[in-house]
Amino acid sequence: MQPTHASLRIAVDIGGTFTDMACFDEATGQISFGKALSTHGHLHEGIQNTLDGAGVDLSRGYLFLHGSTIAINTLLERNGANTALLITEGFRDIYEIGRVNRPDAYNLFFSKHVPLVPRSQRHEVSERLRADGSLHKPLDEAQVRALGRQLRSQHIEAVAVLLLHSYRNPEHERRVKAILQEEMPGAFVCASHELSQEYREFERVSTAVANAYVGPRVSAYLGELETHLADKGFVGDFYAVQSTGGLFPVAHAKRDCVRMLESGPAAGVIGAQAICAQLGLPDSIAFDMGGTTAKAGVISEGRPLTTGSALIGGYEKALPIQIPMMDIFEVGTGGGSIARVALGQSLRVGPRSAGSMPGPVCYGRGGEEPTVTDANLILGRLDEHHFLGGEMPLYLARAREALQTRVADPLGLDVTRAADGILRIAVTQMSHAVKAVTTERGLDAGSFTMVVYGGAGPLHASAIAREIGIRKVLIPHAPGYFSAYGMLFSDLRYDFVRSVFRRLDSLPFDEIEAIYQAMEDEGRAAIAASQIRPDELVFERAADMRYVGQEHAVTVDLPQQSFVQRDRAGIKQHFDQVHQVRYGTSAPAEPADIVSLRVTVMGRMKKPPRHEVASGQAQPDANALRAHKPVYFRSAGDYVPTPVYRRELLKSGNVFEGPALVEEHASTTVVQPGDAVLVDAFGNLQISIGSDRT
Amino acid sequence: MSTPSQVSQVPTVDPVIVEIIRNGLFAVTEEMKTNLMRTAYNLIIYEALDFTVGLFTRDGDTVSIGLGLPMFIRGMSETVKAKIRHFGHENIHPGDILVTNDAYTTGSHLNHFTFTMPVFHEGELIGFTCCMAHWLDVGGSLGQITTDIFSEGIQIPIVKYQRAGQVNQDLVDIIAMNVRLPERALGDLRAQITAVTTGERRFLELVQRYGNDAVQAAILQIMDASEALARQNTLSIPDGVYEAESFMDDDGLEVGKRIPIRVKVTVRGDEMEIDLSDVSRQVKGFYNSGFTTGIACAQVAYKCLTTPTDYPVNDGSFRPLKVIMPMGTVISAERPYPMRVWMTFPMTVIDTIFKALAPAIPDRSIAGHHADLVFPNIHGISPEDGRLFIVGIGPLGGGWGAKSREDGVSVTVCINDGDTHNSPTEQLEAKYPVLVERYAIRQDSAGAGEFRGGLGAEMVVQALSPFSVTTRIDRMHCKPWGLEGGGEAAGNGIGIRRQGVWEASLPNAKIFNVRLERGDAYKMLSGGGGGFGNPLHRDAQKVAEDVQEGYVSREAAERLYGVVLDAQGQIDEAATARRRQAG
Repeated sequence: MQPTHASLRIAVDIGGTFTDMACFDEATGQISFGKALSTHGHLHEGIQNTLDGAGVDLSRGYLFLHGSTIAINTLLERNGANTALLITEGFRDIYEIGRVNRPDAYNLFFSKHVPLVPRSQRHEVSERLRADGSLHKPLDEAQVRALGRQLRSQHIEAVAVLLLHSYRNPEHERRVKAILQEEMPGAFVCASHELSQEYREFERVSTAVANAYVGPRVSAYLGELETHLADKGFVGDFYAVQSTGGLFPVAHAKRDCVRMLESGPAAGVIGAQAICAQLGLPDSIAFDMGGTTAKAGVISEGRPLTTGSALIGGYEKALPIQIPMMDIFEVGTGGGSIARVALGQSLRVGPRSAGSMPGPVCYGRGGEEPTVTDANLILGRLDEHHFLGGEMPLYLARAREALQTRVADPLGLDVTRAADGILRIAVTQMSHAVKAVTTERGLDAGSFTMVVYGGAGPLHASAIAREIGIRKVLIPHAPGYFSAYGMLFSDLRYDFVRSVFRRLDSLPFDEIEAIYQAMEDEGRAAIAASQIRPDELVFERAADMRYVGQEHAVTVDLPQQSFVQRDRAGIKQHFDQVHQVRYGTSAPAEPADIVSLRVTVMGRMKKPPRHEVASGQAQPDANALRAHKPVYFRSAGDYVPTPVYRRELLKSGNVFEGPALVEEHASTTVVQPGDAVLVDAFGNLQISIGSDRT
Repeated sequence: MSTPSQVSQVPTVDPVIVEIIRNGLFAVTEEMKTNLMRTAYNLIIYEALDFTVGLFTRDGDTVSIGLGLPMFIRGMSETVKAKIRHFGHENIHPGDILVTNDAYTTGSHLNHFTFTMPVFHEGELIGFTCCMAHWLDVGGSLGQITTDIFSEGIQIPIVKYQRAGQVNQDLVDIIAMNVRLPERALGDLRAQITAVTTGERRFLELVQRYGNDAVQAAILQIMDASEALARQNTLSIPDGVYEAESFMDDDGLEVGKRIPIRVKVTVRGDEMEIDLSDVSRQVKGFYNSGFTTGIACAQVAYKCLTTPTDYPVNDGSFRPLKVIMPMGTVISAERPYPMRVWMTFPMTVIDTIFKALAPAIPDRSIAGHHADLVFPNIHGISPEDGRLFIVGIGPLGGGWGAKSREDGVSVTVCINDGDTHNSPTEQLEAKYPVLVERYAIRQDSAGAGEFRGGLGAEMVVQALSPFSVTTRIDRMHCKPWGLEGGGEAAGNGIGIRRQGVWEASLPNAKIFNVRLERGDAYKMLSGGGGGFGNPLHRDAQKVAEDVQEGYVSREAAERLYGVVLDAQGQIDEAATARRRQAG
C-alpha cells in the first residue's frame, strides 16, 4: 500500500555529463527540476545529488521513472559482460560477416563492425528450421547441455541465442534457453525471439548479443538503484524508459536491457509531444542539440514516428539493433564541433568535436581549436559571466585568438564574419538532418512546429527554422531538463512484431487475427502484471507491407476494424496511401505482401496537469530585463544592442520582438531580428519566425 | 582524358557559402539515393544497393555522386555527356528525361538502365541529375555465356523516356515485352524516375536559395579544392615510372588461357599518368567492359590513393590524372563484344595499379583482394506459384589486402561495389526454394604476412526444388597477391554437390546453367586478401590469437608464420625462435 502522502512522480534522466530530474507533485500541482553532475561508476550518487539539490524526498514518491545512458555507454565503451553466442549450425560467422558493405567506398583503410563476442565464443548448435517454421533438423539437446556446462566452467556471464527462423517458430530457441538456464544458473540468457520476431538474422543476432552483453551490468545497476530507492524510503513503483519513449517495469528492464538504449532522447520527444498536445499542435519536430550531436524526432498527427531498427555507432562500424525505437536522426554537429580550414580554402565544421574535455577554447580547459560554442561567445550570444548561471566563466579573448589565427586569417575574413560563417554552416548541417527525417517520410517540414531543447538548441533554433522554412518555434519551459520532463508524460508501452510473409489477396484472416491477438494478450498480461493501473489500455495494429516483388516494406497503421470486417481492399488502400505519401508513387493495381505484423499496447497513465506560470502584462516586467548587450546578427550586418531577458522572470502574456536573448540556467535562446516572442500560459517561449532567410 | 587545371572565370564566393553549398550538394544526392532505395522493387537495388545517383554540370561533369558503386564513377558522367552530344543542349527541354542502357556508352552491361533529367532554372539549363540502377533481368540469354551484345538483352539507344513531362509509352511497352519480369523492371524504372526528379527538385531549391551564380561558382571552387588536395597527395609520391602485371583466369570460353593485365604509372611532380595500353585486348567471352570503365579503373585507383574521403565525389579530383586508354582492350571494348560480366576484370586492373605503386608509397598501398562479386545467379520455377524466379545470392564478400601497418578486412564486398549488402538468409529462404546450409569464414584463406590479409567466406546453398545455377567467378587460379614479402591468399572458387557427393575439382569457377535437383547444393568460396611484409615478423601473440579464434590453423601458424604453439595454444617460445631463425 502506498502511504497517503506519496504524491510525487519523480523522473530522473542520466546523461553523459548531467543527471537531470523533474518531479511532479500531484498534491500541489507543482513541478520542480534538479541537475547534478553524473557520477560515473556510482550513478545513484548523482541521482541522489540531484534529488537533494531540488529537495525531493524519495519517501514521498509513488512513481520513479528512469532513463539512463548506461546501456548505450556499455555498448560503445565495450565494457560489458563476458558473453557467448549460440547459433544455428553453419552460421556462427554471420555475426562477424554482417552485411559485407563498405560505405566508405574509396578508403583503403576502411574498417567494419567489431563483434561483441569473439569467434571462439560463438558456438554452433545442431538444429535447423525452415522459413515456414517447419523442422529441417531436430535440436540436439545433449549438445546444448554440454555447451552450457562448458560455458559455465569458462565463467561466461551472458549468452545470446540466435536460431534461424525463430521469428516464425521460437520453439528451439526456447528449449536452448531453458537448458542453458538449468546448466548456467545466474547467467544472463537472451534468446533473439524475446526481443525481435522479425526476419534478418544479422540484425537479430546483433540485437540479442547486445542485450546479453549489456544485460549483467544494466540489470545489476537497476537492482542497486532499487535497493538505493528502498533505503531512502521509496515504496512506489519503479519504471524504466524504453527507446520508444514508453515505460516498462524495472523487472522487464532488467531482462530487455537493450530496450533502454535511447531512453533519454526518446523521452525528449515524448515531452515535445506532450507540450504540443497541450497547445493543440498536431505536427512538430523535436530538436535536441547538445555538445557533440544534434538529434531530431518527428511527431506527426500527434504521434511520434518510430522505426523498427537503428544502427548504434558510426554507420560503417555500427551494430544494428532491431527493435522498435523512436525514429531519431542524429547529426554530428554540436556546441563542441570544431571548425577548421581544409586545403583549398574550404571551411569545415565538425564532425570532430572537442567534447567536454578539453571542450571549446573558451572553457579554458586546454582546448585550442575553435568550436561552435566559441563562435556563439564571440558573437555575443553566450556571455562570459553568465554561462550556467555564472557558475562557469568563459574566456572570450582566448576564443577570439583561436578563431582569428585558425580560421579567420587563413580565409582572409574578419573574426566576426568567420564566427558567423561557422554558425551558418553548423545551422545548415542541422537543417539537413531535420529535413532528412521529414522528407524521408514524405512530410513537409515547413508546416511543422519545431520544439527545441538541449543546452545548445535554443541558441540556433531560430536560424535552423529559417533555413527549413519553419514558421513557429517553441522553446519549452526548462529546455535543459527536457528529457526528464518528458518522462513525466510517458505511458506504459509494449511493442511486438512478428514476420509472417503472406500475400494480402490470399491472407488467412483467422491466422492473422490469432497472431495479433496473441501479441495483444501478451501486452495485456505484461501491463496487468505491473502494479500501476493505467487509466486506459490502447491497442494499435500495424503491418509492414510491400508490393509483390518489392523488397522493402513500409509500416502501415491499420484500424482494428479492417480485420474485423476482413477488409482486404481497405487494407490495400491504406497501404497505397502510405506508399504515396512516403515515396510519391503508388501502384493500386499491383498486389501486396504482408511481411510483418506489429502491435503496440499502451497503458495510458494519468498526465500531470498543465503547468501554468504567473501571468503578466504584454511588456515584460522591468526586472526581467537583465541588460542590453551587443550581439551580432547577419541581417543587421553588425553587432546591435540587444535586450537580455531572464527566463525565470518572464510571465505569461509577455511579448517582445527580436533581436533579444533569453538567458536561463542551462540554456540561452537567441531571438533574431524579425522574430516575435510570446510567453504562453505554460511558460513556453513561442517564437514566430521572421520571413527573411538571410 | 586529362582536364587542364581550370582558372575560374567566375568571381570567387565566400568560403562559408561554398561550404554550405557543398553540404547541400551532398544532401541532394543522398536524398536521391534514399528515395531510389526505398521505392525500388528488386533485391539488387534495395538490399544490395547496386545503383548510383549523381548531379552533373550542364556539360556533364560530375558535381556529386552519391555513395554507391565506385566503378560507376566515370560511367555516369560519360553517359550524361553522350546524351548531351546526341541531342545537343538546344534540344533538351524542361520535363525531358533521357534514357539509355547502351553498354558501350555506360561502359558496363545492359542491366544498367541510366536515366538523366535536365535541371532548368529560369529557362536556362544549369545541370543534370542522373540515376543508374541494376535491373534484375533485361532479356537476352538466361544463364549462358554470351559472345556478343545482341544475346545479352534489349538495347535502348539514347532516347527520351519522357518529353516535356509526357512519358513515351511506346518505349515502355517495348521494354516490357523484352524483359522476363516486366512488373519488377517497371517498378525499378519508376523508382529511378523518383530519384532523378527528387534530385532536380532539391538542386533547384539550392539554386533558389543561394542564386545560380553562387551555386555554379561554388561548384567550381569545390572542384578546385578537390583538385588541390589531389595534387598535394600526388606530389608526395616519388617521381618515377612504376609498372606491374597480373592475370585473369580466363574468358570463360578458352578455359585456362590466362589474360594479362599490365599497367604503367608515371608520376611527375603533382601529376600522374596511368597507361593502360597493355591491358589485354578484348576477349570473346562476356568479361569485357567499355572505355568509360577503363578510365574508371584509373580514376578509382587514383582517388583511393589521393582523395579517398573527399566528398562529394567530383571531377576536380581527377584533373591531375592523365589516362592513356586505347580502344579495343578488355576494358575499352567495342561493339559487338559481349559485356555482361563487365565488373570483374576492372577490379584486378585497379589492384594492379596499387601493386605498381606499392614500392613508391608502401604506406598508402594495399595488397591484392578477392576482386570478384562471388555472386551466383539462379533461376527456376517456384514450387509455390509455378512462376519463373530469378535471384542472385550474394555478394558473398571476401578478403581484402593487408596494408603496411594493419591486417586486411575480412568478408567485405569487393572494390567494384561500395555500400552493397548481402542478402539475409531468412529473406532468401522465405522467398525462394533454397536452404542455406552454411555461411562461414574460411580458415587459412588470408595471405600470410607481418600483417595478414582479410579472410574469405564460404556459402553452401541447397536446392529445395530444382533450379539452375550460373557462376561467372574469376581469380580462382590467379590468386590475390601479397606485398613486400607478404604471402598470397586463397583464390575464389565453387563446388557442386550431387546426391551428397562433391564433384571432383572444376577447371575454373565458371559454370553455366548447371541444373541442381532437390537436395543437391552448390558452394561459393571467396578468396582472402594478400599479406603485407614477411610473415616471420608477425607478432607471435597475434598469430596465437588467430589460431585461438580459428582464423589460422595451427599447421599454418607453424608453416607460414614459424609460430609453434603448445597443446594449450600458448606460444612455445624456444621452438618458435628456432623456426623463425631457420626462415
